[in-house]
Amino acid sequence: MITLVIGGAASGKSEYAEELVLKSEARPRIYLATMEPFGEEARRRVEKHRAMRAAKDFRTLERYTGLPGIEVPAGSAVLLECLGNLCANELYSPDGVGAGCAAEAILKGVARLAAQSRNLVIVSNEVCSGGRDYAGDTLRYLQLLAFLHRRLAAQADNVCEVVCGLPVYHKGGEPQ
Amino acid sequence: MIFITGPLYSGKRTFAQKLLGCTPEELERRAVWDVQDLARDCLDLEALADECSRREIVIAVETGGGVVPASPEERAAREAAGRLSCLLAERAETVVRVFCGLPAVLKGSLP
Repeated sequence: MITLVIGGAASGKSEYAEELVLKSEARPRIYLATMEPFGEEARRRVEKHRAMRAAKDFRTLERYTGLPGIEVPAGSAVLLECLGNLCANELYSPDGVGAGCAAEAILKGVARLAAQSRNLVIVSNEVCSGGRDYAGDTLRYLQLLAFLHRRLAAQADNVCEVVCGLPVYHKGGEPQ
Repeated sequence: MIFITGPLYSGKRTFAQKLLGCTPEELERRAVWDVQDLARDCLDLEALADECSRREIVIAVETGGGVVPASPEERAAREAAGRLSCLLAERAETVVRVFCGLPAVLKGSLP
């Protein structure tokens, strides 16, 4: 089962997505972290998320790019956080596949995760509600992420937007 | 307390006025809006949320849905604004998101 959880900055999306995984009976719980901790702000963010997962029985797996070769235990609950970072990494990191192949690489990786796990929760950023006054790399990023949102929403069983900590389901509903 | 959120110019205050059946002047006494701006540089978001919650209606613009700002100060302000909204939603009996003037109840029910 795939659940896509999308929200803006500090919308409470991570907490909500984590709750979904904690409610799921699938084991083990895998936290698939995608943010490369560059700089102090990123390190603090990683620390904050680590603290949130502490004592919650998550195994952390760090993958910044290259999901197509990923292996997770059969029947696991996987929390992929987050698609926005993965996009940026595939586009701009030296290890990334670049603009031409990023969408395909990410979709393949997600399909692999979905096939191996029992319960896949994908967290992503809402970044397209701030107008369209962007160009170049930023525009390319917005287009890629929005494309993935549409494609993954079509494939997902449940699509949820988190608004001030509250889930708003656009497809399916809270997985039981 | 009723917490009303939604994008910029989505009709949040008009909805609040309708809900209370009051004039714009009266709304100033009974509601507080643009609280997202108060979150910037705030050292205690919990206390700010408590204080805002004394009003009948609290209104915040949703600010987290755009491109991540390039400046660290703007990122921090946006983070604080989002966090404040989560805290207000926790405290509210009712949460309404107004979209194109249309209210959607996310928590509780309208009086």
